[in-house]
Amino acid sequence: MSTSVNNTHSAVAAALRETAEKQYAAELAALAKVDDRERPPKWNLSPWAVVTYLMGGTLKDGTEISAKYVGNRRLMEIAVATLATDRALLLLGVPGTAKSWVSEHIAAAISGDSTLMVQGTAGTPEEAIRYGWNYALLLAKGPSRDALVPGPVMRGMAEGKLVRFEELTRVPSEVQDTLITILSEKTLPIPELNSETRAVRGFNIIATANDRDRGVNELSSALKRRFNAVVLPVPDTMDDEVTIVHQRVGQMGRSLALPGELPAMEEIRRVVTIFRELRDGKTLDGKSKLKTPSGSMSTAEAIGVVTSGMALASHFGDGTLRAADVASGILGAIVKDPVQDKIVMQEYLETVVKERDGWKDLYRACREVL
Amino acid sequence: MTANLHILGIRHHGPGSARMVVRALEALKPDAVLIEGPPDAADVLPLAADPAMVPPVALLVYDPEQPQDSSYYPFTEFSPEWQAIRWALGCSAAVRFIDLPQTMRDRRVQIDPPDAETSGDTTNPAALPSQTAPQPGPALSAEPSPAAEPPPDALEALARAAGFSDGEAWWGRLIEERRAGDNPLEVFSAIHEAMAAARKELGPTPHDPSEPAREAHMRKAIRQAVKEGFGTIAVICGAWHAPVLTAEAIKATPAKADDELLKELIKGQPKRKVAATWIPWTYNRLTFESGYGAGVVSPGWYEHLWMHHEQVSTRWMTKVARFMREEDLDASPASVIESVRLADTLAAMRGRSITGLDELSDATLAVLCQGNPLPMRIIEQKLIVGNRLGEIPESTPSVPLLRDIAAQQKSLRMKLSAVETVLDLDQRKETDLARSRLLHRLSLLGIPWGQLHGDQKQGTSTFHEIWTVQWKPEFAVLAIEAARWGNTVESAATAHIKDRARSAEELAELTGLLDSVMLADLPSAVEVLSDRIGALSAVAASISSLMDALPPLVRILRYGNVRATDAALVEPLVRGLLARICAGLGPACGSLDDDAAGAMRDRLGAVAAALGTLASDEFSMPWLAELRKLGESDIHGLVAGRAWRLLLDAHACDTQAAADRIALALSPGNDPSVASAWIEGFLAGSGAVLVHDQRLLAIIDRWIASLTPTAFEQACPIVRRTFSSFAQPERRIIGENLKRGLATGADAGGPVTTAATADDYDAQRGELMDPVLKLILGEQMP
Repeated sequence: MSTSVNNTHSAVAAALRETAEKQYAAELAALAKVDDRERPPKWNLSPWAVVTYLMGGTLKDGTEISAKYVGNRRLMEIAVATLATDRALLLLGVPGTAKSWVSEHIAAAISGDSTLMVQGTAGTPEEAIRYGWNYALLLAKGPSRDALVPGPVMRGMAEGKLVRFEELTRVPSEVQDTLITILSEKTLPIPELNSETRAVRGFNIIATANDRDRGVNELSSALKRRFNAVVLPVPDTMDDEVTIVHQRVGQMGRSLALPGELPAMEEIRRVVTIFRELRDGKTLDGKSKLKTPSGSMSTAEAIGVVTSGMALASHFGDGTLRAADVASGILGAIVKDPVQDKIVMQEYLETVVKERDGWKDLYRACREVL
Repeated sequence: MTANLHILGIRHHGPGSARMVVRALEALKPDAVLIEGPPDAADVLPLAADPAMVPPVALLVYDPEQPQDSSYYPFTEFSPEWQAIRWALGCSAAVRFIDLPQTMRDRRVQIDPPDAETSGDTTNPAALPSQTAPQPGPALSAEPSPAAEPPPDALEALARAAGFSDGEAWWGRLIEERRAGDNPLEVFSAIHEAMAAARKELGPTPHDPSEPAREAHMRKAIRQAVKEGFGTIAVICGAWHAPVLTAEAIKATPAKADDELLKELIKGQPKRKVAATWIPWTYNRLTFESGYGAGVVSPGWYEHLWMHHEQVSTRWMTKVARFMREEDLDASPASVIESVRLADTLAAMRGRSITGLDELSDATLAVLCQGNPLPMRIIEQKLIVGNRLGEIPESTPSVPLLRDIAAQQKSLRMKLSAVETVLDLDQRKETDLARSRLLHRLSLLGIPWGQLHGDQKQGTSTFHEIWTVQWKPEFAVLAIEAARWGNTVESAATAHIKDRARSAEELAELTGLLDSVMLADLPSAVEVLSDRIGALSAVAASISSLMDALPPLVRILRYGNVRATDAALVEPLVRGLLARICAGLGPACGSLDDDAAGAMRDRLGAVAAALGTLASDEFSMPWLAELRKLGESDIHGLVAGRAWRLLLDAHACDTQAAADRIALALSPGNDPSVASAWIEGFLAGSGAVLVHDQRLLAIIDRWIASLTPTAFEQACPIVRRTFSSFAQPERRIIGENLKRGLATGADAGGPVTTAATADDYDAQRGELMDPVLKLILGEQMP
């Protein structure tokens, strides 16, 4: 009985979300093939190839590399060059500006492994960064290498791989500072064993942090000095943002096995317009001022709105993304504070959406759910 | 052609070009150096060798008759032309400018505002490549001025052919950042070939109609030099022109054709005379943003490139870090090391053999500024562009006025600076007084070197003057323009003021001018001005212009003594003006509509305030008498109300009289609109009088209470407007007083007491305090 369940399970068992190195294995392999430039120790690709992997392009042998990051190439160059100088990289930005996305892809491209990751939370303990103990073994045999359970950072150091540290600013300050020794001395002492783990070349840390959210622990300047900071901005232009949303929705639709066809650009453009306008506090033509909601109105949220709209359309509608499908998603993204944001949304609906040509359906759909 | 002719095609203000030119000259040892520049400036050219000449400087070629019609040719230490001039002067080779002379330029197409460089270089395509340079940070992406908009030029085309994204990067990599060691002459011949190909492809540049003539003139000058028998000739010109100036090209173009072209150009044009001089220049004015067509993005960086051959990026980063420390920003040597490493890695990644400004700026942002763009902006402004101001030797021929300005600046130890600096001048000190005098005189001449801070003019401090001074290169042109008034600052300013005095028709303009002229200490101009003021006020028909003219004069009379200027001169003027105002005030206030009455009310206030500062009965008696007459007469309520208010403020009537007067104005028989205008005139601006004298308040209160609903609707907006002009605390106190007055049912005629009455006392709440008081005082309370 149990075997059959297991079998049926493994037959369908495709990971909900593949790691970047698996998802883009073909691209990485193609890049590695044509890449004849110098590679830093333990890097799978040369810095140039990593930037190409991130920004997309066509290789000499005709392989098409998709763009992982839509935006300024210089930022990616700085990020990759930072890692090549074995300085740690700090990706800063408001939520939803593809910080984690970029860090995952950089790790995948450089180390071929994006799974060495510490997720920073208010409760992240020092052990999560350094090492823990197998207590049964510890009690039975006393402290030894065998009883040591290495954390992601320790493993990255030993194997010479990139380690990702997500949401560094969510971690309490005293835990953050554990990184100082690791970054400056490139070593992790194990006082219990009177030994240490020295970092192998190729080890480095990519941290992401945002400066907008509540509940943020500012980095100490000692720690900040050990990072090179790259600020990822919100997308520059409307077109950039539409491209990002369109591309990501396509990928997510595929991985979630949504039957619906890829939504029309028009609907994506409307969602992105609403998000940009509310984020900037003014309409795109710059003619009228708007209140801004308490949420961050990031591109990532816009992607979420369109994806959930697609799911609604394919499971409950006719498969085509319509205003009604995105309306509840839009409201959910905007109205985070039930009192303040509702006023913002109502004003926006009445003054902007209602008046806009061809937006009547969206207006009606939003009014219905608000 | 027997002479050995070498054409060195360069880019203006390119440090790499400059270095190559120097090396090429060293190798060639030419006995004549011909430079693309204005031949009109031949006379002042030798001054470039003067050790006192410190770039950035500019050649200014101007028409003495019309100084606005001028052109600048800026040079920096790293300009190839400058290096060539200095080299030639240093080893006494002949040096000449060979571009089309200013005198031959077509004036019809050369009408430019004086502040826009009209250098011939503006339209030289080879001089323009930096336009699309990748900007070193988001802060620098200011829109270039339209004047600097480049054509789709040769460099762009060549760069695209070579697989580069833009011309600047291509040229920079190939030429400006080239390391020493190559044969410079080979590089120059490579530039020729590239430009020849580009010229064939693109044809002549359509945006510069004078290009054929300029090149014809350059060929002519080269032919001339060959004829004179120079053995080796080096020609320094914009790379674009290089292909048409070679020996072959000169042979291929008949001399006659060039001569005819040039003759054609000057046909029908009046003969022009131009003069040339050197003026100090600034780095800021070398940038594109300043509207200079041949500008560069980063003069400060180019200077750095010119000064340091080795360890360019390390030195630059150290410079940035030291600068940041000066600005109180963290920048440790460790961070400098990291940023240099990052910049070098970035350069390697981008496939550049040399770390450029782009990489250095990216690294500065990521490491030293920790991603924060704000410090980056200061670095851009202060280091990448720079704020260097050049110096010129004293012997530079120039208009006498400019020399006088320079001499005075020197004797008063006022250093020219391109940075804004604040000067606090204490007028009791002789030097500071002289400095202030110079600044005032220059502003009268229309040279705004110093800006006087506005609040000082109000007379808040009588000894100190606070100035912001910043020297701009265009002041030299303004000075040349002003030179027609005289040869020294004093005489020019005097002559200019006299001229203005004669042509001015507005009395207020003259009295305002008198103020500045007194500060500038120009006695003979003061005389002319005051005569003119006397004459104008005698014939002035409008009282309002007399009233506008009075306050500046009174200010001089009041504060003039501090500055040792002759205030006695002003007194008769004030007296005369005042007499005329008093005589005409009544009729002038006779029939005014609402707007005119409002203006008159303000004028009454201004005159009264000015006279108040004098505190002299001699002046105020006739004025107050006139005000009283005004108050009694049947004129617009605004004016009459204000007249009474001024009388009350000047203690020329007691409160009772004012109260009576208000009661009269507000009596029920009066039209409510007239009454409310009267109230507005009386009260507008300050409610203090209502706070201190509750009788007046009570009258007004009663009046409002007595209005019929229709009348109330009429009066309400005006009364509301009046009260809303009071300060917040005043309004609050008035409100509290009224509330208390109503609560006590105070008799509307008598004074309202401010002490609490029995009705205000709440026994129950008072008892609550008992236990606390007992605790504090012990149990001694009954």
